[in-house]
Amino acid sequence: MIIAERRPLSEILKNIEAYERIMVLGCRGCVAICSAGGDREVAILAEALRLGREKKGKPVQVLEETFIRQCDPEYLEPLKDIKDKVEAVVSLACGVGVNLIADLYPDIRVYPGVDTTFYGANLSLGEWVEKCRGCGDCIIDLTAGLCPIARCAKNLLNGPCGGSQRGRCEVKAEMPCIWHEIVERLTKRGELERLLEIWTAKDWRPAGGDGLRTRFREDLLDS
Amino acid sequence: MEVKSYLQQGLENGRFIVTAEIGPPKSADGELIKKKARLLKGYVDAVNITDCQTAIVRLSSLASAVLVMSEGLEPVLQMTCRDRNRIGIQADLLGASALGIRNLLCLTGDHPKFGNHPQAKPVFDLDSIQLLNLVKGLKSGRFDNGEAIKGALPYFFVGAAENPFAEPYDFRPYRLAKKIKAGAQFIQTQIIYNVDRFRSFMERCRELGLLDQVYILAGITPPKSLAMAKYMKDNVPGLEVPDEIIKRLSSAKDKKEEGIQIAVDIIQQVREIPGVKGVHIMAIEWEEAVPEIVKRAGLDTAPSSFEVTPPFVVEKVVEKIVEKPVEVVVEKVVEKIVEKPVEVIVEKFLEKEIPWEEEMAGERIPLGTLIEVLSDLKASLKNIKSGMESLEEGLAKLEEEFLGRREHRPVVREVPKKREEITPPKEPSLREAPTVEVKPFEEERREVSEEVVSIKEETPLERPEEKKLEVKEEIKPEVKEEAKPELKEEVKVEEVSKPLIEAPKIEEVSRPVSELLIAGFKGDYRPLSERAKKIPQDLYIDKATGLIKEVIIGKGDRALKCGNASAINFHHFEGEIRNGIKIAMEILDIKPDDWPESLSKYFVEVYHDPALWAKKCVEVYGAEAICLYLAGTDPNSLDLPADHAKKVAEKVASAVDVPLIIWGSGNAEKDTEVLREVADVVGPKGALIGPVVEANHRTLSAVAMGYNIPVIASSPIDVNLAKQLNILLENMGLGLDKIIMDPSVGALGYGIEYTYSVMERIRLAALYAQDAKLQVPFICSIGKEVWKTKEVSLPSDDYMGEAEARGILMEALTGVCLALAGGDLLIMRHPKAVELCKLLFNSLSMS
Repeated sequence: MIIAERRPLSEILKNIEAYERIMVLGCRGCVAICSAGGDREVAILAEALRLGREKKGKPVQVLEETFIRQCDPEYLEPLKDIKDKVEAVVSLACGVGVNLIADLYPDIRVYPGVDTTFYGANLSLGEWVEKCRGCGDCIIDLTAGLCPIARCAKNLLNGPCGGSQRGRCEVKAEMPCIWHEIVERLTKRGELERLLEIWTAKDWRPAGGDGLRTRFREDLLDS
Repeated sequence: MEVKSYLQQGLENGRFIVTAEIGPPKSADGELIKKKARLLKGYVDAVNITDCQTAIVRLSSLASAVLVMSEGLEPVLQMTCRDRNRIGIQADLLGASALGIRNLLCLTGDHPKFGNHPQAKPVFDLDSIQLLNLVKGLKSGRFDNGEAIKGALPYFFVGAAENPFAEPYDFRPYRLAKKIKAGAQFIQTQIIYNVDRFRSFMERCRELGLLDQVYILAGITPPKSLAMAKYMKDNVPGLEVPDEIIKRLSSAKDKKEEGIQIAVDIIQQVREIPGVKGVHIMAIEWEEAVPEIVKRAGLDTAPSSFEVTPPFVVEKVVEKIVEKPVEVVVEKVVEKIVEKPVEVIVEKFLEKEIPWEEEMAGERIPLGTLIEVLSDLKASLKNIKSGMESLEEGLAKLEEEFLGRREHRPVVREVPKKREEITPPKEPSLREAPTVEVKPFEEERREVSEEVVSIKEETPLERPEEKKLEVKEEIKPEVKEEAKPELKEEVKVEEVSKPLIEAPKIEEVSRPVSELLIAGFKGDYRPLSERAKKIPQDLYIDKATGLIKEVIIGKGDRALKCGNASAINFHHFEGEIRNGIKIAMEILDIKPDDWPESLSKYFVEVYHDPALWAKKCVEVYGAEAICLYLAGTDPNSLDLPADHAKKVAEKVASAVDVPLIIWGSGNAEKDTEVLREVADVVGPKGALIGPVVEANHRTLSAVAMGYNIPVIASSPIDVNLAKQLNILLENMGLGLDKIIMDPSVGALGYGIEYTYSVMERIRLAALYAQDAKLQVPFICSIGKEVWKTKEVSLPSDDYMGEAEARGILMEALTGVCLALAGGDLLIMRHPKAVELCKLLFNSLSMS
């Protein structure tokens, strides 16, 4: 899922400084699951903003709302007449949601309430770790399912580098050296010879080097 | 154009090769590179030029390589993938070849995280193996995209690095094979200290048939010091330093000499290993060691007659285009060099590197700037304060909102009940009985302002607790005080309070003088993480970036360590508070004449002898330090001579083994004389002396430095004055780790608010605004202030309550307040107040 993290309160307060009526808009998609922008976080943020403003002697009226998703136009439809009710919207969706609102409703002043961080897995309650970088050209069929693009700090394709120690990454010692794991796993499977081939330089275009990435499915477009 | 480098020729001719390394400077000082090159010339076959090693910005490797060539030394250009993509790399390689650089070392590069621009976007478009592959392509006439290079082709003798000491060990030889396949012609290894592991790596490479395809140069680094060896052992990933090396260094007298010898020994060992064709000596920031190593290892017999006839154009360009200014500079430099022997030059440039560290340490700020900075600081502190206040308020509301209000009350309500139950068994003679308020708590709280007096000591205790403590819901101090002054009979106090006190309490049996009982807290403690678990951490955690320095008082096992905290006192959830709050008990050099009965009674029998007095504090009341207040030396009082103070200090020092604090009369002139004498006897014990004020800071800092002891920097309660004195002391050469600040404190009801706010501002500036000059612990002389107030001397009566309890609570509350404001070392008098403070501090220190 897409992982996000609430932006510092001070930043959000700065964004909404000029307004007296705002809406905190959550999303029940990824950000709800990673506890950054669901119903609960909307309530917390709304309360925190009210308190913050009250403290400054400039109380603010905060509406609370959470949509099923913010990355589909149809779910955003209730926003049509929102600009009459509030002066600004703080969206707790990932950057996709904020952008889509900005695209579809140019009259709404929408501000990001979260920093969108990475694609990750929820390892345990309160712990998320990056697993994929969306590089657009999957190679993990060759690396025992472990992605060196996302999980190696230098995104090496011919690792492990000399900084690998006791199976740990030198850049982030709490993280495993993913190349160490790849070597171990392929050794165990008797497929180490895969790594003896030189992996030539990667084409970074599908990773975004080619400009805005889009995807079309003709069959669905037609219908 | 294929012109073989000197390095390549040497290796092909079977000569044992020596390469070294030059790290370019963090400046545009090209002359420095040339100097380093001259130093190495004649001893090495080629020299590596690092490419912003450890991701620190330096003069570029390409430019440095050209400068090295101008000194007639052959460079090995290091090229990493960290800072350039394949476009930049190819462009630089074409340029390097055009400038006549013939050796290239291809590396992935250290991650920016380790450098001085960790914010930079790491490139890593390629990795080292892909880079080798790219160079192979360029040499054969193809760009990385397959396009043909029309015209002159670049030529390089290409090398790579390999680390036999990084895991997975078994894979390393294979990775080496990949590098060879990708075009590596020579390999420079990671620094070798563990020769055995290197030998087995080489053996494996031989089995794989790699040694016939590549020249291996063994990496050697002379450890410059024991600290460096330890650092490499513990902190450099992929570097193995066996204990034996550490042992050799630690037992050596001359560490540098031993470091060189270690390098020589390793060279001799690796030379015997089949396949090792040379050594690569990386004398980090110690280039002058290289010639010595080369000589001792017997490697200087190589025909180093090589003269680079640089095809590059730098000299010509300089003459032609830039003409005069540059010529002048060059001439000057040449003159200088001619005048002085090489050694002097070496020293000079070595010196050159050290000064900036010194500059940093001895920062000198003009007064105007200082004032400006300080007023800025003042403003920002105000902001921080108001921010903190609003945060605190917000938090309280949030906590109420999410945790529910209910949890607070029921627990609190228990208090009056308990008192009610306790009262009956009390002996009728107890004075306090009439004042006990048996009211439900809520009512009591509402009326607090009117009843401050009548509910006696409980009120003041509850208030700070409720305001400041995170632990408030569950723990409740029960202070039960039964006043029966002067009775020496063995009263079993426990009996009285037995029914309700569950928490461990401090037994009084061994202390016949006292009838006061300090009980513990009641209820189950719930850690903050549990209480606040429904609130996102960033709503209440604000981590500091500064660190309060550690100051050590005394020596040996019982030395008292103060400071060393990266959070506001008791904010364990925000950082490390390693030493907590310390309490020293105060004694006087003379019999005190103004101590009220409620305090005197504990010490009256030892008044005549400060040594016994100190002993009693330590042995009976468990004091962890003694503060000897030289009240008798005060010119406005008895004006006793320095000699008297010295004698008293000597007696006290020999009577107890806890650290000593010597506190002078406060008269700057007299203290200079007294403390200088006293330091003679307490200096060797590492005692803390003071108060040092601006008027006597020169002499007293010299005294402190002489004995290497810490001082109390005492300033009239003000942020800027406190900082100013620290700066003055530092300028005298006294380290900040030898300074404890005395901000001048006031007692409860006697200016404690002012003290609190100034201390808090100092501490916030130290922790959150990186004000380095304020990052020292606080000492608070509480006893002096509290026990001279009017309230502690007033007799017991219905209105003011019981006298002793009043005094104890005034001292303890002053202590708690100042600890909350940042106090690290408190000086106190009443044993019960000390006990109460300790109890509260321990409880507040639960996470």
